[in-house]
Amino acid sequence: MKRSMKMLVTLLLAWATLYVNVAMAAPPAPIKFPNFEFLSKKATESVTISLDTNTLSIAAGFLDPNDPEDAAAKELVKGLKGIYVRNFTFDDHDDYGSDTQLQSELVTLRSQLKEPDWQQLLAVRNNREQTSSEIYLSVDQGHTNGLVIIDSEPREFTIVNIVGDIDLEKLHRLEGRFGIPKLSAGDALTHCR
Amino acid sequence: MKDDFEDQLRSALRPVDPGNAFCAQVMTRLTASTPSPSPLPGRPAYRWLSAGLVASVAVGICVTWQYQLKRAEGLEARRQLIEALRLTDQKLGSAYRIANSGT
Repeated sequence: MKRSMKMLVTLLLAWATLYVNVAMAAPPAPIKFPNFEFLSKKATESVTISLDTNTLSIAAGFLDPNDPEDAAAKELVKGLKGIYVRNFTFDDHDDYGSDTQLQSELVTLRSQLKEPDWQQLLAVRNNREQTSSEIYLSVDQGHTNGLVIIDSEPREFTIVNIVGDIDLEKLHRLEGRFGIPKLSAGDALTHCR
Repeated sequence: MKDDFEDQLRSALRPVDPGNAFCAQVMTRLTASTPSPSPLPGRPAYRWLSAGLVASVAVGICVTWQYQLKRAEGLEARRQLIEALRLTDQKLGSAYRIANSGT
């Protein structure tokens, strides 16, 4: 009886360990975005993009493999589970920079990006230019499976959340495409690592 | 002389009973010359063919409409994906510039 109980406890522990490992290996769920309606009202332009797994696969199906831009995007999208973007453009930084509701919502947002699931990769601020940027990564077994960027510029505020297996090098190779000018340094993302 | 002419005219225009045989002959000829109505060749088949053509056209319109909807949806998803990737790369570049601005 004692022996069978021991075996049962051992089996239960093994199962619990396996369950925890599997749960930790799962990609993080998309972050919960605040309701940015208050920002949309002040913004001159707002962009809301929510592409889940199904929509991503539909979009990838319409990428032309013969077009270099589309082919690069198609390569990057493999393994992604979702892309979510909230982008707002304002006439002036003061339109949103001192918004207390935004700061409060960002505190709530950052509370989702805490260890051990998330690591803050970068947090920089330039008060003179009124810019700041934070990058968070979720890494599992050497693979980046979640990315969050919170970017604040004089007239633009952006949050990006990417869920899935992200290849930052491939993302960097998109520079020069989609109308983005190339940076002078080719290893921009190395600094971000 | 005038009365003689009138008598002759009256006699010529006098109605004459043709008799029953005449009526029977006329009816016989009438029934013999009227063609019997014959049915249109293949009418049921013609009806089915028309219905099939109409159904095919309707199905074709529905399929084409669905295809156009899916295509529009796919192109919109593609546009959003490109925009999302563009913004992501732009913001990563922005982070790099801020990091290198020395602040």
